[in-house]
Amino acid sequence: MRRLTTFLFLAGSLSAPLLAQWPTRPDEKAPRTADGKINLAGPAPKLADGKIDLSGIWQVDDNHLQFNMMADGPQVALTPAAEAIYKMRLAGAAKDRPSGKCMPHGIPDAMIVPSPFKFLHTSGLTLILYEEFVDFRQIFTDGRALPKAPEPAWFGYSVGRWAGDSFVIETSGFNDKSWLDDDGHPHSEALKTTERFRRSDYRHMTMEITIDDPKSYARPWGATFRFHLLPDTEFIEYVCDNEQDQKHMVGQ
Amino acid sequence: MKRRLLIAGLLAAGALDAQWLHYPTPGLPRLADGKANLKAPAPRAADGKPDFSGLWLQEHDRPCPPGGCADFQASEQFYDMGYGMPGGLPYQPWAAEIVKKRTASNGLNDPDTLCVPHGIIKAHTVDLLRKMIQVPGLLAILNERNASYRQIFTDGRALPADMLPTWNGYSTGRWEGDTLVVRTEGFRDGMWLDRNGTPMSDAAKITEKFRRPNFGTLEVEVTVDDPKVFTKPWATTLRQTLQPDTELLDYICLENEKDIPHLFDKK
Repeated sequence: MRRLTTFLFLAGSLSAPLLAQWPTRPDEKAPRTADGKINLAGPAPKLADGKIDLSGIWQVDDNHLQFNMMADGPQVALTPAAEAIYKMRLAGAAKDRPSGKCMPHGIPDAMIVPSPFKFLHTSGLTLILYEEFVDFRQIFTDGRALPKAPEPAWFGYSVGRWAGDSFVIETSGFNDKSWLDDDGHPHSEALKTTERFRRSDYRHMTMEITIDDPKSYARPWGATFRFHLLPDTEFIEYVCDNEQDQKHMVGQ
Repeated sequence: MKRRLLIAGLLAAGALDAQWLHYPTPGLPRLADGKANLKAPAPRAADGKPDFSGLWLQEHDRPCPPGGCADFQASEQFYDMGYGMPGGLPYQPWAAEIVKKRTASNGLNDPDTLCVPHGIIKAHTVDLLRKMIQVPGLLAILNERNASYRQIFTDGRALPADMLPTWNGYSTGRWEGDTLVVRTEGFRDGMWLDRNGTPMSDAAKITEKFRRPNFGTLEVEVTVDDPKVFTKPWATTLRQTLQPDTELLDYICLENEKDIPHLFDKK
C-alpha cells in the first residue's frame, strides 16, 4: 500500500519519486547480518534503561481490520444510540468519514490505515508522528495521571508506561467525532482506550487495543493489529490540501 | 489573547482542572517564590549541546491598539517580515506589487486563513504554541496549529538530490558551537512569509540559526535566499519566549470553519 501511495505520487507528479527520498542513514541500533545488511529477524532494540524501544517507522501489515475492527471477533453488541449512528454511517458509505474532510483519524484509526507512523521516545514523552495529514500525538510518560474532565480532543489525552515487555498507553478525553475504524464504529466522549504495544523482533510489532465505552458498547472489547518496520525510508509530506472529493460524495 | 480567551472559556465551563495546562514543566529552574527563572542558563542535552526542547511562543512586541489587542496578539513580523529593516524587504518589482495588493486585501488569500500549512517561517511568528523536542539525530517541532509537525534531521544526512516540492521543505541541521544551523530547501511554490503577503517561491533556500541564550529565550535568525522574489538575500531575527507550566491545546484549523465563505476583498 506504501507502494500504491508512491505510485499515486508518480502518477500525479510524473517525477521519479525515489529521487525525492532522503539519502538513507544506517540505523545504528539495527541488528546486522555478516554482510552488513539489517537482520530484520534480529532482536528488538532496547532503550538505554533496558525498556523496549519502539522507535522507527511502522506500517500496518494488512487492511483486514481497517474498515471493521470487530471483524476478527468477538462480536459485541452496540448500545441503541451507537447502533443508530453506526447504521447511518454504513448507509452513508463513509461519506461523512472525518478523514474525508481532512480531520484527524483518531485512535486506533490513525494507525490502522495504510499510511505509516513513527514512534519517537524522549525523556517523559513518547511521540507518534503520522505521515497522513502530518498529525502528531503526545503520550506522556512522566508519571502524570490522566486529566479528570478534559476538553475533548481528537486524539484524547494519553499517558504511557512500560510494563514488562510492553509499552502501554491509556487514553481518555476523546471528542465523539472520530471513528474507531473506516466503516465508522462510533464512540462517545466516555471512551477509554488501552493500547499494549509489543515488539517481538526488529521487524515486528503488535498492538492490542481495548475499547471501553459503556455508552456505546455492551462491554469492553478489543482487537489485535500487526505492524512491520519500514527501514531506510522517511515520510513523504501528506497534507490534506486541494481536497476535491468531498463534494462528489453522495452516500448510497 | 486568543490563548487567554480560550482559558477563560475553559474556566467558565469548569474544566480547568481538566487540562494539562497547569502541569509543572519538568526541569524548569525556579525562583524562591516558585516562579520560573527564565534567566537561568539554557539546559544542555547529553551530548553537551544546548537543548531547545520546550514550549515556545513568538515574542509579543506589537503594541495593542487603544481598544485592546485583537483575537491574536501577533508580533510585528507576523505582518511584515521586513519590520525594522531600513527600506523594508528587497522585493523584485512584481513582488512589491503583489504585496501591495495582498496587504490591501487584509490576508484574504493567506494560506493561513485557508487552513493550509503556513510554512516553516510563519510557524515562528503566529500566535500559537510550538513544542520543540530534541532527540539524538532529530529536532521535531510540534505546531499547536493543526496538530502538525516538522522534522529537522541532525544526523548528518545530506539534503535529498531531487525534492518533491513540499509545504515544509526538507530540513537538515548541523551544530556550529552552540548554534544549530538549519538549511531548508525543496519548497512548493506560492507560499506566504507574512500576513502582508510576502511571497516565497520554489527557489527559496532558508537558513535558520537557532540559539538559546538563556532558559527562557530562543532566537531564530532567519536568512531567506529566494532570487525569484528578492533582489538579494536578507535576514531577520525572530525571538521566542519559553511558555512554562502549560501544554498544547487541540487546534484543528478546518474543524467547523465558517469564516472563509464570508471573506471579501476591501475595495
